[in-house]
Parts: sequence; structure tokens; C-alpha cells
Amino acid sequence: MPEYIKFVDVTKCDGCRACMVACKNWNDLPVATEEYSGSIQSHEKVNAYTWNVITYTEHETADGGFEWLFRHQSCLHCVEAACEKACPEDAISHTEFGSVVVDHDKCVGCGYCVQNCIFDVIELATYKDKNGKEYRKAQKCTLCTDRLEQGLLPACVRACHSGCLQYGKKEEILAEAEKRLEKVKERFPNANIYNPPGINGSATVYLLAEKPSVYGLPEDPKLPASLTLWKDYLRPASKALMGVTLTAVLGAVIANARNKGPEEQEGGQDNQ
Amino acid sequence: MVIGANPAENHPISFRWIQKALDKGATLISVDPRYTRTSQMANIYAQLRSGTDIAFIGGMINYVLQNELYPKDYVVHYTNAAHIVAETYSFDDGLFSGYDPETRSYDKSQWAFETDENGNIKRDPTLQHPRCVFQLLKKHYSRYDVDTVCNVTGTDKETYLKICEIYGSTGRMDKAGTILYAMGGTQHTVGSQNIRAYAILQMLLGNIGIQGGGVNALRGESNVQGSTDFALLYHDTPGYMGMPTTVDPTYEDFLNRITPKSGFKTNFPKFFTSLLKCYYGDNARPDNEFGYQFHPKITNGKNYSFLRMFDAMYRGEIEGLLLFGSNPVIGGANTYKLQEALGNLKWMVAVDLFETETSAFWQKAAGKDPASVQTEVIFLPACSSYEKEGSVTNSGRWMQYRWQAIKPKGESKPDLEIVHMLARRLKDLYKNEDTPAARPINALYWNYGDSDHPDIDLVCREINGYEWETKKQVSGFGELKDDGSTACGNWIYSGFYPGDENLAKRRDNKDTGMGNFLNWAYAWPANRRVIYNRASADPTGKPWSKDRIGIYWDEAQGKWVGNDVPDFVATKGPDDPTFNDPFIMQPDGKGAIFSAAMNEGPFPEHYEPYENPIKNVFSSVNLNPAVQLGDKALNTAGDISKYPIIATTYRVSEHWQSGIMTRNVPWLAELMPYMYVEISEELAKEKGIKPKDEVIISTARGEIKAYAMITKRFKPYKINGKTFHHIGMPWHYGYKGIATGEIANRLTPHIGDANSTIPEYKAFLCDIRRA
Ligand code: SF4
Repeated sequence: MPEYIKFVDVTKCDGCRACMVACKNWNDLPVATEEYSGSIQSHEKVNAYTWNVITYTEHETADGGFEWLFRHQSCLHCVEAACEKACPEDAISHTEFGSVVVDHDKCVGCGYCVQNCIFDVIELATYKDKNGKEYRKAQKCTLCTDRLEQGLLPACVRACHSGCLQYGKKEEILAEAEKRLEKVKERFPNANIYNPPGINGSATVYLLAEKPSVYGLPEDPKLPASLTLWKDYLRPASKALMGVTLTAVLGAVIANARNKGPEEQEGGQDNQ
Repeated sequence: MVIGANPAENHPISFRWIQKALDKGATLISVDPRYTRTSQMANIYAQLRSGTDIAFIGGMINYVLQNELYPKDYVVHYTNAAHIVAETYSFDDGLFSGYDPETRSYDKSQWAFETDENGNIKRDPTLQHPRCVFQLLKKHYSRYDVDTVCNVTGTDKETYLKICEIYGSTGRMDKAGTILYAMGGTQHTVGSQNIRAYAILQMLLGNIGIQGGGVNALRGESNVQGSTDFALLYHDTPGYMGMPTTVDPTYEDFLNRITPKSGFKTNFPKFFTSLLKCYYGDNARPDNEFGYQFHPKITNGKNYSFLRMFDAMYRGEIEGLLLFGSNPVIGGANTYKLQEALGNLKWMVAVDLFETETSAFWQKAAGKDPASVQTEVIFLPACSSYEKEGSVTNSGRWMQYRWQAIKPKGESKPDLEIVHMLARRLKDLYKNEDTPAARPINALYWNYGDSDHPDIDLVCREINGYEWETKKQVSGFGELKDDGSTACGNWIYSGFYPGDENLAKRRDNKDTGMGNFLNWAYAWPANRRVIYNRASADPTGKPWSKDRIGIYWDEAQGKWVGNDVPDFVATKGPDDPTFNDPFIMQPDGKGAIFSAAMNEGPFPEHYEPYENPIKNVFSSVNLNPAVQLGDKALNTAGDISKYPIIATTYRVSEHWQSGIMTRNVPWLAELMPYMYVEISEELAKEKGIKPKDEVIISTARGEIKAYAMITKRFKPYKINGKTFHHIGMPWHYGYKGIATGEIANRLTPHIGDANSTIPEYKAFLCDIRRA
């Protein structure tokens, strides 16, 4: 099968948010209204109940100009995915479509993926079982893998009217992206294609109008070496030797590989 | 050029096509007081003060004339630029000749054209005569020089000149420019003249009747075009034939008034008689004026518009109100007062999908004591567009049929069914009565099936029209007769259902050429996609440009051919005296750069809004002199000394109209949950307002609370040497539904345009403070 990717040409996004509604609709996600943000942005960022968010950035350019930058924010589906590597339960994996998905039968809600995701995408959703007991599962954009399996486009791509969201053969799309980049450079001299080499690329590729950091994206994201070490060497060994519980303890050490404070984490999850 | 519209937010699907044009290299210009999502998508953005479109466009007209960017052939042959205006016409200090300050109206006969002894309009094709339209236009807009214009509009001069240059370049006949407008253009005391100004600019640049040109209204609702075509407004009948009034006691009087001596409208007697036949069937006969006396007549000169209706309601002159999908407590102007007016009704019937603020105007949430309101309110649940079939007509006049997707929920019903049931009950109620009230109802021919569920196909067939005796459908309006032998519900749609195929159901998306898609649905009239398309070819009938072919005269075949349906008989050749008359709805066939039809003058002139931040720079007349002021109790105005900030209202992508559909959809409510007001960083600083603060916005009509949205997208204006702040608010919110917020239209003035009476929602004065 040829490789397919989702392409987000932010210079064509007019910020209508049809993609956000289509996502909630297809994935049957609950309403997660946030407090007034001071701008028209509805959610601070993606979370367990809101898998894509349009960000609206008021940006003054170096030459004194002004741009109101829109970005469809959702999981990038990294080729080298930190969440997958951090997961002690092997609940996260890549599908044949290049999408990174969570197996909810395996997910125990430990949150290592949340702490390690380079892009702050994956979050824990809270549910209640029939006895009223709370439990958690990691949630994020699936690239609509269930739709891809049926030969359908991802729901957001299907809803997008402007041509900003596309889904297609990787080679063709990337070739088109290069052409488009040349075209938009006239207006956006800092425009770039965001397909980070540090994670071996991603199944969602962006054409950004400005430097990644303007959109709150890491300029040159890399997978922490410790995660690779953990996933590919330490964990298999430790699992064989010590059993699951100890693995989790060891995992906790790894969990802070990204050096993210606990408050920040809680804030991100408070989305009822 | 998008002016007075925001398609990326309010018409996102239209923006899909704008994006495609951009991909092909088009230039998009956004002119708006606010930097909107459309402005971000545009190549050029220009800020203008709300309410100064005529200054903005007037300056462009001046630029085009001064720099001779107009296509002379087009202007001379297809517009009335060469017509000579009578000596009685004059313009002095903001007033045209014939003004009567008592009635705030003009004697329009002073703006006539000069005619020869045979009654033909005198013309000067050299455009040199000092009283030809062209020279008068030039003189009128010479006052709109770039500096004065930018001084009034607050636009940056360099940007303005860039727009003049780029847009002016569409005067080349191998290029096209289109103007998109919406409520930002119309909702002003000079709203109709704003649109006239766009039209004049377009005619001057040869942008009307050609592929890719036009003055395009972006409709705020999927079927606004359709409902207007079917005479939603009080002053018209289906197909824009005018309304019988008290000065038309006989049918003959009425026909004489509406039928001009020349032009296509000479056919009106055929169309109106067919309309009467469709209304009254066998009760419309030659010996009873085809039932003309059954037809309602409005009092001549009386204004029955939305504003005046609420004035009358406020004075207790109206007993009952039927509301179909209408929520005036959110959508009206000065709605504190409207709410009071509603309390003077004996009864109100509201037909809607969800309980509206209007149908709940008597509740505690509306600030009322329910026990003190005597109005009896009946709510009828309506179903949504997906639960019924029927057609919607878009801005391109395409009548597109849609099918039912799901059955109506609960007891909800389509509007058509509700009206049908009502008509049946009324007919039943009056059948044994012979009173003036009963007669029209008894005479009414109501033949949409014998059950409470109407047969919509019969409605469609009637709209198309048919021969009365045989019931055979006509092939188009050309077959309609004035002797009562044909019936037709709306002549402009005649031809969409000629035989057994309802052409509005067609879905062939193959481009038949120049993006006209002639086999997709049906465009009125006669499936033509670009009206006045005679202008797409030069005076000899050849295409202006090989890349932009509308229709052209094919000498060999002796007829007009091309990518569209000709706007006239296809065999009309060069020998015909009307060969060069593209504007078939005008008696003289020429585009009306000068028009005596408007209430405030033949040329659009800049006047300040009702609540004006500055004295008019162009003349000593501040307010449009033909605006009718309405009831004093409702038309309260504020003054700049108390309300120094300019305000406007608008819509957003996430909500729709009064929000009653979208604020009840959880996923949409989530995207835009709160009422807010956009203010600049500068104003925030001045007023000590911090991000996310709650603020109070006050006008002479009242005050409301909203969240502050401090944004770089709002910038103060420099107007006439002084700095002015402006703010903007969405008008979607109310106290019903999931997303609630205070009502922006509590603040807007109850004053309307001089022609259409649409309220001036878009420009008024306010003040703002921290809550
Ligand atoms: S649907 Fe497309 S245009 Fe609309 S916000 Fe999403 S990405 Fe942007």
C-alpha cells in the first residue's frame, strides 16, 4: 500500500471550525466548554474530549505587518511516536495507515503518554464504570482510522471546504506542498513545511505560514534518547526480570523525561 | 472586492469558490471596519469607518474617471452615460433638486431625461454634453478626491490608492472584477445607495453582464433570494411586479401604473393576470377584473416595513402577529422597545424549531412579570430543512431542489404544511359567509390536495404555470397570456418545470463552459446564469475577449450562441434597434448610472449615519435627507458627547442569525459560548479594561454586558484629524438555548434606510466601561 498522509495547508484555512464539529460528530465526543479565553479560540488546546482545535494567533510580523494565523491543531501521528514508546502496556501502536492509535482494552490510564507527548496532544479522559467508579483512558485524534478502514476520508478532511485539509498519497502531497510553499512565500517569507525529521516525520504534515514557534510548536522536536532506551532496551529486559509492578515504578522515572511540571499537566486535563 | 460582507465567516461555502479563484491567481480585497477572517484570507485589507461606503466607492468612481480606466465602448453603448438630463436637475450642498423638507422627500420628476419631440431620450455619444449623465457623474464625484475620502473613511491613503489602481484595472475588457456585499452594505440609512454605488462602479468598469463580474449579494440565509422572489416584503408581489395600492382602484389602473411603455416589463399584464388566475382560479374572469378586487391593497405611500410595523404595534394598532422563523427580540433594532410592543398584541403565533426569545418575551428571563402580560402566545413546532422537501434559491438565482432526509421529529411540521392547514381551516370557517373579509378567502383557489398534507409537486407545477383549461404546463413565461387562459405562481420561475421534469432537481455537475453548469438545477429566468449577458459581447456582437466568452452573435447561424442562455430572443440581430440594449428590465435598455428610482437622489451621496461621530464633510446635510424618522418613542438617538465610540454588529461562522438554531446545538454552542465585544488595545488601555473583563456597553437605547475581547484586529481611526475608537459585537445571543448572552440589538437604533427601511444595525454610537 502506498503511504498516505494528512496535509494541513494553514494558508488556506479560514478558521471556520467545521473540522472541529465534524470531529466531535464522527467520534461522538462530548461537549467540553471552556471558560472565556479572551479571544475567539474555544479551547486552549486539544484535549481528551476535543481532538482538534483551531488556534487563532494575532501575529505582528517583523516588517510591521499583521497576520491572524489559524492552525488546525491535532495529533501529528509521529513516525517515531513518544507516546507509543512511553506506554508500558503496549497499548499504543501504529496502524497500516501510519496513524498512531490507542488500544483501550490495554490502556490502564497511567498517563506516561500524556507526559511524554512532544506536542501535548494526548490526554486522559475520565469515565465511570457501572458501579460509579472512575477510570481513565488515553484519548486523542485517531486520524479517523475507523473511517480510513472503510475507504472514507478523515471526518475533518471531509468537512473542510477550503482545501486546507487534504488526505492523499504522501509523495504527491509533498510534491504539491513544495509548490504551494513557493507560492505562499511571497506573503509569508517564513513559511515552511513542518514534517519534523527528529521524529522521522509524521503522518500529518503542515505547511505553516510562520515559524513553528509562532504556533506554539517545537522548532525541531526530537524524541528523547531516554525514551528509545527505555522502550527498546530497558523495558523488555526489566519486564522479563521483575514483572509488571516494578516496571511501572521504573516507568515513573522515565515519565518525567520531558521535564514537564505536574501543575501544567493538571491544568491541561481540567476540561469538564 | 468584498465590501460590507465577510464570506469566510458568514458564507463559508461561498468562500470555497473564492479560494479556488485565489488558487487561479485572483486578487482578493477585503474592505471592512474590522479585520475579519475574510480580511486574513485577502491579499489587500482596507479599514473603513462603518457607514462610509459611498465615500469609499465614490472616491473609486472618481479615480476611474480621472484616470480614464473605463471601457468607453461599454459605457457609451450599454449604460445611460450618454443620456442628457433635464435642466431641472441640480445638486447643491448635499441636496438634489426637488426636495421638500416637510415630507423629507423629493419630487423625482425633476431628475428626468431630456426627450425629443417623439419622446425619445436625447443622447450625446461623445459624452461631452455638460448635462449628459457621464459629465454629471464626473462633476458629482470630483468632490470625492482621495484625501477627502480617506479623511472621512479613516482608510490608509496608500492602501486606498492601491485598491483604486488594482480594482480600476478591471476596466480592461479582458479582465473582470466582482463585488461581493451583504448586510454590511445594506444595514445603513444609506444602505440602498451603498449598493447603487457598487453598481455604478461596476457599470463604469464594464463589469456587469460579463462572466466573473456582477454585484453579488451574499444572502444571509439559504433561501433569502427565493423568499424575496416570492414577495416576502410588503411592497411587492411574486416576480417583482409591485403591489396594488389605494391609488389603483381598478385592475386597469394598476396595470397602467406598473407597465412601462418599453422594455421587457411591457409583459407585466400577462404575468399579473396569470398570477391572479393562480390565486383565484375560476373566480378570476375577464368580467371581474380577473379577481383583482380580491387582492389586498396597501395604503398608497404607507410604509408597512418591519420598523413601521413595530411602531404601529407599540402604539397598540396591531392585534395579532404570525412569526415564521423570526425572532425580532434578538434580530430587531432597539429590542427593549420591541419587547414592549409585543406586549400590546392580543395574540401571537410563533412557528420555530426551538423556543425563541420572542415567543418567550413574556417570561421572567426576559425581565417581565408574566402575570402582567396579556398577549396570548401560541407556539407551533416547525421542522428543519432536512425534514422536508422543497427548493432553495441561492444568490446566483439557482433554484435547487432538496429532498427530505429524515421524517419530522415529534409534532413538528414544515412551514408549507402549517400554512396549508391554516388556509384549509380559514376556508372552512368562512364558507357560509358573504362579508368583505370572507370574499377573498372564499374566492381563493386552493388546490394542493385534499388532506392536511399538501402535495408539494402541485405547488411546483403551479409556480411554473399551466394552461388553465388543459392544465398543461407552459414551457416558459413566453407562453403566459393576459386573457385568463394561463395561471402562473411566479413568472420569473416559469420554465423550471416545463413538462414532467422538475429542472430544479437536476444535478449534472459537468461544466458546460465558463463555469456556468447549465445542467445543474435551474436558474431564473430561463436558466440563464448571468443576467444582462448581452453585455458580455461588444457592440458588434463579438466577445470582448476570447478568454471570457459569455454569449456572442454568430453571423452564419443568425443567432446568439456561447456559454449561456441569451437574455433575450436569440435571433435578435444587428438590425434590431434594441441590439445594443443589454439591460432589458430598464425601459431604455441601458444600465442606470443615473436613476430617478431612488428616494434620495440619482447619484449616491455620502451622508453620515443617524448617530454620527463627525459632521458631514461633503455637505452641510448630515443625515440622508429622505430617511423617514418613524415613531419618536422608538427612534431615540444618542450624541457624540455622551457616546463617543463607534459601534457595529455582525455575525460569526459558528452561529446563525438570532442563534436559535445554533445556540441550541451543543457542539456549536461550545465553539462560541459567550457574548463578547471586540475592542482595540488602545481603547482597552484608555478605559482600563483587561483581557477577559466583563464590560458594559451603553447607547441611548440601553446597556448590555459582555466579555471584553481585546484584539490587534481593531485599530482606532483617524477621522477628520481626530482619533475615534470603534467596537464590534456579534448579535447572535439571547437568553434561550445552550449558549446564552446579552442581546446586542438592545443597543441598535430604530431607524431605517430611505428606500428599503432596513434598520441601521451597522453604525451607531456607544460608550463602554468595566462592569
Ligand atoms: S474546516 Fe478547514 S478551513 Fe475550516 S477551520 Fe478546519 S481546517 Fe480551517
